[in-house]
Amino acid sequence: MSDKTSVLEMRGITKRFPGGTLANDAIDLELGEREIHALLGENGAGKTTLMNILYGLVTPDEGEIRIDGTPVAIQGPADAIARGIGMVHQHFMLVPVLSVAENVVLGQEITGVGGVLDMRTAERRIRELAERLGFSVDPGTRVNQLSLGQQQRVEILKAIYRGARILVLDEPTAVLTPQETREIFGVLRRLRQDGTSIIFISHKLDEVLEIADRITVIRRGKVVGSRKPAQTNKDELAELMVGRAVSLRVDRGQSHPGDVTLEVVGLRALDDRRHEILQGVDLNVRAGEIVGIAGVGGNGQDELVECVVGLRKPNAGAIRLAGRDITRQSVEGRRDLGIAYVPADRQRFGLVLPYLLPDNFVLTRYGEVPYAGGLGGFVRQDQPIRNEAGRLAKEFDVRASSLDVAASTLSGGNQQKVVVAREFRHDLRVLVVDQPTRGLDVGSIEFIHKQVIERRDAGVAVLLVSAELDEVLDLSDRILVMYRGRIVGTFAAAEAQREKVGLLMATGEART
Amino acid sequence: MKRLLAICAAVGLVAAACGVIPGTGSGLKIGLVTDIGQLEDKSFNEFSWKGVQDGAKAVGGTAQAIVTKDIADYKQNIQQFVDQKYDVIVTVGFLISTDTLNAAKANPSIQFFGVDQFIPDPIPANYQGLLFNEAQAGYLAGIVAGTITKSGKIGAVGGRSDVPPVVNYIKGYENGAKSVKSTVTVSINYVEDFNAPDKGEASAKTMIGQGVDVLFQVAGLTGAGVLRAACNAKVYGIGVDVDQYLSLPDSAACIITSAEKHLQNATRDGIKRFKDKGKQTGNFTNDATNDGVGASPIRNLNPVPAGLTDKLTQATNDMKSGKLKPIP
Amino acid sequence: MRRWRARLAPTWSKAQVPVYSIVLAFAVAAVVVIVSSAFTASGFDPLLPFAAYARLFAGAFGSGNGVANTLVAAAPLMFGGLAVGIGLKAGLFNIGVAGQFLVGAFAAAVTGAALAAAPTIVGMPLAMLAGGLAGAAYGFIPGYLKARTGAHEVVTTIMLNNAAALLLTWAVNDLVRAPGFSFPRTADIGQSALPILAGRNLHLGIAFAVAAVFVIRWILVRTTLGFEIRTVGANPSAARYAGMRPIFITALTMTISGLLAGLAGAIQMLGVIGFYAPGITASVGFDSIAVALLGRSDPIGILFAALLFGAFRAGAPLMQIETSVPIEVIDIIQALVILFLAADLIVRRVFRVRAPKIEIVELATVTGSWGAGTPPPGTAG
Repeated sequence: MSDKTSVLEMRGITKRFPGGTLANDAIDLELGEREIHALLGENGAGKTTLMNILYGLVTPDEGEIRIDGTPVAIQGPADAIARGIGMVHQHFMLVPVLSVAENVVLGQEITGVGGVLDMRTAERRIRELAERLGFSVDPGTRVNQLSLGQQQRVEILKAIYRGARILVLDEPTAVLTPQETREIFGVLRRLRQDGTSIIFISHKLDEVLEIADRITVIRRGKVVGSRKPAQTNKDELAELMVGRAVSLRVDRGQSHPGDVTLEVVGLRALDDRRHEILQGVDLNVRAGEIVGIAGVGGNGQDELVECVVGLRKPNAGAIRLAGRDITRQSVEGRRDLGIAYVPADRQRFGLVLPYLLPDNFVLTRYGEVPYAGGLGGFVRQDQPIRNEAGRLAKEFDVRASSLDVAASTLSGGNQQKVVVAREFRHDLRVLVVDQPTRGLDVGSIEFIHKQVIERRDAGVAVLLVSAELDEVLDLSDRILVMYRGRIVGTFAAAEAQREKVGLLMATGEART
Repeated sequence: MKRLLAICAAVGLVAAACGVIPGTGSGLKIGLVTDIGQLEDKSFNEFSWKGVQDGAKAVGGTAQAIVTKDIADYKQNIQQFVDQKYDVIVTVGFLISTDTLNAAKANPSIQFFGVDQFIPDPIPANYQGLLFNEAQAGYLAGIVAGTITKSGKIGAVGGRSDVPPVVNYIKGYENGAKSVKSTVTVSINYVEDFNAPDKGEASAKTMIGQGVDVLFQVAGLTGAGVLRAACNAKVYGIGVDVDQYLSLPDSAACIITSAEKHLQNATRDGIKRFKDKGKQTGNFTNDATNDGVGASPIRNLNPVPAGLTDKLTQATNDMKSGKLKPIP
Repeated sequence: MRRWRARLAPTWSKAQVPVYSIVLAFAVAAVVVIVSSAFTASGFDPLLPFAAYARLFAGAFGSGNGVANTLVAAAPLMFGGLAVGIGLKAGLFNIGVAGQFLVGAFAAAVTGAALAAAPTIVGMPLAMLAGGLAGAAYGFIPGYLKARTGAHEVVTTIMLNNAAALLLTWAVNDLVRAPGFSFPRTADIGQSALPILAGRNLHLGIAFAVAAVFVIRWILVRTTLGFEIRTVGANPSAARYAGMRPIFITALTMTISGLLAGLAGAIQMLGVIGFYAPGITASVGFDSIAVALLGRSDPIGILFAALLFGAFRAGAPLMQIETSVPIEVIDIIQALVILFLAADLIVRRVFRVRAPKIEIVELATVTGSWGAGTPPPGTAG
């Protein structure tokens, strides 16, 4: 038990969904005063259901919730707010066209004489509150002009403004850059100082160990353990989460690079705002080699990848595949030549969410034999499509109740596995992977890393881009650092020290 | 439970479909198929319908109307009356004339009247077109305009230059005005659209800007915009087809008169002619001689300018006697 | 019984909101009829809606001629509904069906008149072809503008609707006006008319329309082109990523949409109206939007929605004659159906229907069309 007094107790919470899925199975959870309590578990373990019960969005079948020792019945979000519970959802619930202040006061407007909105008072209060929490925000700014990290702070502000003493954050770092993550941790520590108790939902081990006072691990709807960070480590937590020993180290093995397969020379390109984001990029990737691009987000990595796969037209420079110029090839043409691509944003690019799984499994190959045939390749062939989908789902361990479900119903990890399964073909020559494991749980990360290395060992040239420096360092045989549209450094895997690479990423210069 | 109720209601509807047949009265059954639009259009459909009702009353028959929403429905709507064994079928507007002609040929025992329909030869013995002498009505409106204009500039906004009645109205109007004041200038604009009040308003504003102080509209819904502009600019407006002082209350404040087709008389008299004399054929022109056209009562002028009423009566009488031709 | 239920479940889950919307629309319109009956000469009559709906039903289905009228009215709506529906599948809201319909009707009328004396087997197909191609060409314009310049198809097609009506008025007046008529119109189509299959007016165009439903369904469901169209509509970014060419698909889909709208005009011209005249209304154009929405852009759904709207048109005259309930009641019902479809929350409340897991792409296209700043999927949040 905690040495602090409990502000929140959840006892024996059980929730069974129609169809018999036991989302929460007699879960006990206790939150101390001024505690940051991490709730750790894989996607689909039941963390979000538990928090939705706390917030009144889901009614539990059994169990009791106590606040400050008193049993309470929470009928809906209004109840929860009234009892001092605030929630920051994974997907922000802000109105993009309204200002920060308007979003914060939405539903709790301060009104003056005759019901007139008193925005000036609201803005002053918001500014004070933000300062107390250690960040500055202009209450008059429109939300759609804010970065994701800033939007999240607005969400927190909104909860605190409404008097939250218990703050629930659902995967708050999933969409943030490392810097933004660090900043949000600062805010959380301030909140704790001020007397707020925090439930922090995550599946990222490093973060949980860094920020939490206590960690409760949930697996398949059950609490499987509770630890203090000082008494545990990543390996133990991963094993609790997944239910078996997980290797967090990537066993990269020995690479055997062959001839240069992918060659980029003097590449220049504009970004969507028509600024020159790529200012002469040169790189090459050999067969059987993983080349990782390290860099702070927004330094041109996405545009580089888009140029390589044919989604963006470069202004100058050339892209060659095994010596052949493919700069003017279409996306489809490049794919036919053996270039595959796992996009950074699987929901926007990689999948068509309302489509059933078979269509998603052949999304980039729908026009090829045997998936299309007859009338000059005009007619789709259902049986081969289904067969391929079934095979890939099995081989890549995609967990779905059947093939006939929409991709939108899958967890993030399983969605990513669909994309990876589709793109990781055996007849590849170049594999471009952008943020291959963003937002995934450790089990899925391990699996995907293994698959990448397997392709490399089969002689594929792999170009890897990731915002997670550790991922780049773990996987790559060679690491290139990208800064302001140029490659500013190259490291062999053995020489790549985290600090050195990090410094180059941040400044573009390698000072000693 | 609610779901069950709704399904029961739906089933009830289907069941009811098999039973109900309301009876109709004895005597002649007279049906009206309207032009595209609505029944209460304050124009052709409405006054033709009123005349059909008056006619039915006069001959001891019953009247029903079918409103047409699309040109493709004309045929079917006429056929519906044929199938229901109606004795007289009145159709409104020139677009329906082809379908009316075909129906008349196919059903020689039924009398057809076509409001505003000119029938080319050979005309079936059971089909009569009810036409109007628009030039006469326009001429009378022109007399009013010529009399009341102060600037000596009057205007007319036409719906379409390809519709002869519209052109006749406006020619008559021009000549009527000049018969009163030979120096009067007449601005004429065809906006080529019967359904655009905004265009009518814009056209009227242009004319008002040029000093026009009497505006005659021959443009359907477009004309409502013309009269609105006239009212806003506090100049005189003249309506068309029906007494628009009554039918367009929004613009009643500035409407002086209207060049009126007495549609109600025309359909009523047609039905009476059929009752009295049997099958009617040919193109029957309603004009000054049978009170088929006229200028609506003068409104909004107090006092009515000296001699205006006399001038109108004189012109009407001259047209009756054939002495005056509005378009020489 | 249970097996049946299981087999029908997916269809029913798609169809239930439209079906309930129709039921609810009839119910609300009934209230309107009852209330307004108090202000008519016949006086307050709580049973009037039942009598009216009964005659509506009898007029549409109660006789062979009624059924024929229903089918004749439904056929152009099938073509038009497919035109709107295939656009919505690709994320395009083609409001221009009205204009494409007119252009198709005009082309069919002129071609049909030119071949009036030729055998039907020659004149009719050529007139149909002319109508379809004219509509396709007129649909290509907004498609090309959207693909090349990003001009929103809602805006361009509205403009083109007006342009079509004015252009054709001029063409009839000055180019192809037929002599011997008191008003401007094209000449008779003679032998080019669609052959009557049965009864007074059951013409061959109905068979064309039903065939089109299944052809379009086949294209959408079974072909790579259909897959491309649906993917561009569901997620243009993913379509580009997958190597499809959204620009090309957009232009092509608008062209196909125009082709279908043009064919709607052609069968209406060659099967029912017989001549083109200025002032011809294209209510088909706007009813087609309602039909596509009610049919959830699914060709089979559109088939049934078109039959319903066709039945409204066919049954309305008998309803007016025998109950004096005005035809505007039909407009009210049609409008309410669309209202309830758009605000399906109301329907779900009343009938306790659970929300679908997948959002309806088609309706999102329509409602999203009105805001300029609608972000593409995936950029929000």
